[in-house]
Amino acid sequence: MGRESILKSIKSNKPELVELPEIDLNLFAEEIDILEAFKSNVKLVGGKLKELGDNEDIDSVIRELYPKAERIVSQLPGSNLRTVLITKETEPHSLEKIDLAIIKGEFGVAENGSVWVSENQFSVRVLPFITNDLVIVLSKKDLCLHMHEAYKKIANRDRNFGLFISGPSKTADIEQCLVIGAQGAMSLTIVLI
Amino acid sequence: MSHSEKAEIFNKNEAKVNWHDKALWFVREKRDTAAHKVKGWEELRNLASGIKANVLSNLDEYLIEFEENAQKNGIKVHWASDAEEHNTIIHKILEDNKVEKVVKSKSMLTEECHLNPFLEDRGIEVIDTDLGERIVQLAKETPSHIVLPAIHKTKEEVDTLFQEHLGTKPSNGNPEYLTNEARKHLRDKFLKADAAITGVNFAIAETGGIVVCTNEGNADMGAHLVKTHIACMGIEKIIPNEEHLGVFLRLLARSATGQPITTYSSHFNKPAEGKEMHIVIVDNGRTEQLSRKEFRSSLHCIRCGACMNTCPIYRRSGGHSYDATIPGPIGSILSPGKDLTKHSSLPFASTLCGSCSNVCPVKINIHEQLYAWRQIVTKEVKQPVVKKTILKITGVALSNRLLFNIAGKSARFMLKYAPRFMVYSKLNVWGKARELPEIKNQNFDDWYKVKRKNNG
Ligand code: SF4
Repeated sequence: MGRESILKSIKSNKPELVELPEIDLNLFAEEIDILEAFKSNVKLVGGKLKELGDNEDIDSVIRELYPKAERIVSQLPGSNLRTVLITKETEPHSLEKIDLAIIKGEFGVAENGSVWVSENQFSVRVLPFITNDLVIVLSKKDLCLHMHEAYKKIANRDRNFGLFISGPSKTADIEQCLVIGAQGAMSLTIVLI
Repeated sequence: MSHSEKAEIFNKNEAKVNWHDKALWFVREKRDTAAHKVKGWEELRNLASGIKANVLSNLDEYLIEFEENAQKNGIKVHWASDAEEHNTIIHKILEDNKVEKVVKSKSMLTEECHLNPFLEDRGIEVIDTDLGERIVQLAKETPSHIVLPAIHKTKEEVDTLFQEHLGTKPSNGNPEYLTNEARKHLRDKFLKADAAITGVNFAIAETGGIVVCTNEGNADMGAHLVKTHIACMGIEKIIPNEEHLGVFLRLLARSATGQPITTYSSHFNKPAEGKEMHIVIVDNGRTEQLSRKEFRSSLHCIRCGACMNTCPIYRRSGGHSYDATIPGPIGSILSPGKDLTKHSSLPFASTLCGSCSNVCPVKINIHEQLYAWRQIVTKEVKQPVVKKTILKITGVALSNRLLFNIAGKSARFMLKYAPRFMVYSKLNVWGKARELPEIKNQNFDDWYKVKRKNNG
């Protein structure tokens, strides 16, 4: 039973070695405006988008977007919106009532409007899910075309926990009607700087 | 009961069947739109298929590599030959950690192993946290679709169910209200859980990490709140390198629901400080399927559900008619390998139109494998049963105009390959054929609302 018998059975049942194909990126190259593609896909997946204007500052823009938020975790250096301080030692359950979390995105992917974020950007893993609303601040310079490029960008990361987030949590499990706000964050706003 | 007999039951409610049919076709159309937007879609499918073929040919080595790398990162790896071993391992982990309450996110493998009743019998509460799965759990049913578990339920049925179990107010099946009530109910369960069980979409040999994809965020809500996270995977979930995720994540959600990617694609590589992470690697019949040359590639499946959404038989017979954890075309080539007699009618639950193979992101030749299983069934299973089934199913395909139109190709196939008595059978187990409204240029919700209004 178990490990040895499974491995043995695979060995005797598997076919002759089939070569692993190479991914030829030329097949997927496209000359498109990746900023525009990213923006339109963020909307497609139910996310909100705010581009920071020349005279605007991040804090006031976020304040305006979420005027009612009281318990705010901001993991953005220099942000004054924070009302709740969290560290690596924070008990995840204590984040149950967080209204808004603000984190920095590492980069965005144009083809699907997703943003890569990792434990480096938030002290407690459950934060981007348990918060009622989520804001990801992302630099316009940090965009790539598709997932193949995305995996090149994270190839040398410190592997702990990370994810692509694309829009707010959602479900269509009741008669295929799309409802935004399932078990994770109720809204996601990407602030492009 | 054979597939067609079960399908007959599903077809008693004609309005519901029509809805089911159209709803799934709508998802299929969304898949098409999403796929057409991707440059090199066919090349992606070729790559995915090639990568999976390589995986199967080197599976033992990849599993060993995966185990080694996962262990280096502090993940505990377990191996289970069958469902019982899988359940026992999980129970032991839970027992060691004095777990009383478990939250579970979608995992067809744990369904396949009947984990819930096993744990419940031993006094452990198991809550399915995917909304669709929670709905079927409350209804004491099983998922009827691998991506849309409650697609067979109307919103009014969900309303009644929630009133009874969650104490909600009558809402005429308001999806926003019901989803929000479920959110509150599940939050409470997440916060009180001692352990979380999740599935695995991809396990990467090179890194020893796993990727879990959800739209609801339920896998992450579960896994990050508890001390013990157990992830269960079939041996075929392995992919060689992380860069291959680029290929599979581009294909998966587009094929499943027409989204460009799921909301959350979470990469678990190391347990958080002070927490435990376990991975259970399960065979349960997979190595046997690996030995069958003709059916081997069924193990490429990434469980997107596209073959179900497109299948004219699935759409009009419902997932439960397959009497298997994995229904639809892919289920019909996996199940006979597990129990040929029990599932002998499944390879006939198809028009062989090939639509499943055309949409499959990993290019499994599903309809050809269905045909191959038919030949085995005809040889090995008692004849009268088989003949009756062939008659019924063929009758279905050829006497229903809708199916006939969709399956134009298959009709030609049938004329070419099926004996006369099959082709000209007049049996019809599907109820009367109906003219169905065109839904082009109207989204499904609109179409459905208009239709409901018209029907009063
Ligand atoms: S067989 Fe192909 S289409 Fe069907 S669920 Fe599996 S991957 Fe998707």
